[in-house]
Amino acid sequence: MTVEFWGSAVGYDKTVALFNKTHKDIKIKYTQVPAGSAGGYSKMLNAVKAGNAPCLGQVGYDTLPSFAASGAVEDISQYAGSSKDKFVPWAWQMSSLGGKVLGVPIDLGPEAMFYRADLFKKYKIKPPTTWNEFAAAAEKAHAASPDTYLTTLPQDAYDLGALTWQAGGKWFGTANDRWQVTIDSPATQKVARYWQGLLDKKQVLSEPTFDTAWYKDIQDGHVLSYIGAVWAAPLIEQNAPGAAGKWSVAPLPQWTAGQQASGNRGGSATVVLKGCKNARQATEAALWMSTNADGVTSLIKNTGIYPAATSGQELPAVNQPSKYFGGQNIYQVFKAAAAHTTANWVWGPTMTQVQPDFKDGLKQVGAGQGTIPKLVGSVQANTVKAMKSQGLGVSG
Amino acid sequence: MAVTTVSGDQRARSVAEPVKRRTSGGRRTRSALLFLTPFALVFAAMMLAPIGYALYQSFFRVERSGLGLDPPTNVFAGFGNYLAALRDSAFTTSLLRVLLIGVVQVPVMLGLALLLALLLDSRVAVFKRTFRLIYFLPYALPGVIAAIMWSFLYQPGISPFTSALGHLGLGKVNLLSGNLVLASIGNMMTWGYTGFNMLILYSALQAIPREVIEAAVMDGCGGWRVAWHVKIPTVRPALILTAVFSIIGTAQLYNDPQILHQVAPAITSSYTPIMAAQQSAATNNYNYAATQSIILALLTFVMSFGFLKFTQRKEAQT
Repeated sequence: MTVEFWGSAVGYDKTVALFNKTHKDIKIKYTQVPAGSAGGYSKMLNAVKAGNAPCLGQVGYDTLPSFAASGAVEDISQYAGSSKDKFVPWAWQMSSLGGKVLGVPIDLGPEAMFYRADLFKKYKIKPPTTWNEFAAAAEKAHAASPDTYLTTLPQDAYDLGALTWQAGGKWFGTANDRWQVTIDSPATQKVARYWQGLLDKKQVLSEPTFDTAWYKDIQDGHVLSYIGAVWAAPLIEQNAPGAAGKWSVAPLPQWTAGQQASGNRGGSATVVLKGCKNARQATEAALWMSTNADGVTSLIKNTGIYPAATSGQELPAVNQPSKYFGGQNIYQVFKAAAAHTTANWVWGPTMTQVQPDFKDGLKQVGAGQGTIPKLVGSVQANTVKAMKSQGLGVSG
Repeated sequence: MAVTTVSGDQRARSVAEPVKRRTSGGRRTRSALLFLTPFALVFAAMMLAPIGYALYQSFFRVERSGLGLDPPTNVFAGFGNYLAALRDSAFTTSLLRVLLIGVVQVPVMLGLALLLALLLDSRVAVFKRTFRLIYFLPYALPGVIAAIMWSFLYQPGISPFTSALGHLGLGKVNLLSGNLVLASIGNMMTWGYTGFNMLILYSALQAIPREVIEAAVMDGCGGWRVAWHVKIPTVRPALILTAVFSIIGTAQLYNDPQILHQVAPAITSSYTPIMAAQQSAATNNYNYAATQSIILALLTFVMSFGFLKFTQRKEAQT
């Protein structure tokens, strides 16, 4: 029997080959699809509509609810339910909706603070452990030189979402067969006011991350830190080779001293798409890819994922000192971050509208138009409107 | 008798002739149809069918209930989507935006293309082939690659223009901010398509009979007067053609702003009509995306045909 699988991460084929080598009665046929909403996701949704979708698809946690709201995924509770304890609790939560298991978690994006240890020392900045200390450090860095910033403004919904998550907030929820939208909540506003404050004092730079200019800035020492997820590590290593050995990773600064809260940015699950005739076998294959030590090791090495399975986080491939990060075992920090992320976050079914709303808005705030607290309010209103126009039940 | 014979003869001929014409005409029609069928089939499948389907889709909307976990249903919406699109300020702004770019950029670009074509065509021009190639080169570059190149040239941190303007004492000019970004996009389009239009105009100039120009020169016309009184009026049809192409091209503006979107604060996700439709499709609202596409297609049709009719009427008047 053959299970078709559409994935977007590069290097998945190697794990699939391992699966096929060790399984006789079931094979996976892997197809690489483009990443993102305009690429692979619409391809999958269209295939479901046309009735010729593959059995398995790789879908980001943020997109899973919109897939569910399009009626495009199978409920796999009966096949996967017993595997719940193998995964980080909040990853399992993000793969479920309305009490149904809709996917098997694959990877995570626990957040931490990447910083230029050499320049922190040079400017006499101690790695901040609280957001208050972080603000003081931002002032100090910018005072050292007008071209130097501690960090960049949050870029989009996912940056702001992870920070809100850390602050104890959540943007969506479900109850009584209705969606709750709480984007404009006290926790989001706390984060929004904090970053607006730094921006008003011109102590953070508004510049797109992971772009040529940003890579240049972090190598030249104009930007000293990055608040982001584990998957940023290989990107920084490959695109800013000039800063080798100069980086370190520390836990996120905290709102209350002594706490260890973190948030998550990114990560995905394997879903069984609607119309799959072999849902049980497909779920088994998905569970194997998420938990088998060899399969996960191959994913870590070839696609650079950070595993959602707790056993995966113990693998040697994600527990080694890194030369680029000054000999530090940065994964210790991310493992702790994943363990200290609360299981209360739910993504909404209209993230393809929430994300551009926040992204466009934050760019404009960075250019001096409007403020982040106001933006949060308008995104909340827009989101409720968009959900209602799609006929979804909304309260909030 | 003789009269009847003649008339009979005539009748015979007048009957025979149309018959002959019809058979040869029929054969011609049949072979023409044979040659046209493959194109017609592909055209119907790739152009007409999708347009028809988009039109059909634009009259429906999707309904869900509760969390939306149950399969959605399609319901007839009449002109609901069209009303929503016309009330959607982000979409109408995007339409006005390409209109504004078109009104400014198309004349500038065509003026420039005409000037370059005239310079190449003038008697004193040297290295004609080399210059023709240089002018045309930007068009040969794939649009996306060119847009990425310009995005590097515009980004404040790495832009040579920003640093040059800084040295001139103009401060840190961000070419991607506010309304400057419109001019920046216009510049990218002009850079990319001037050479293409120049080539069309240049070919038209080449087609002008040399005697006409010689006669004008004999009558005492200098280079500029030949250009103004002889060459430009003669290439008028080519100018109109390039203008129509450019109007259609501007309405379909997508590559340049989409690539700059990543780095330009002023460019939103629905900056141009096509980007807006893409955005709707990405949010899984295919009916609305179809509606936006139909509105854009209608406007493009009205604009390009309107321009054609306008210029034809002017031609008839003169």
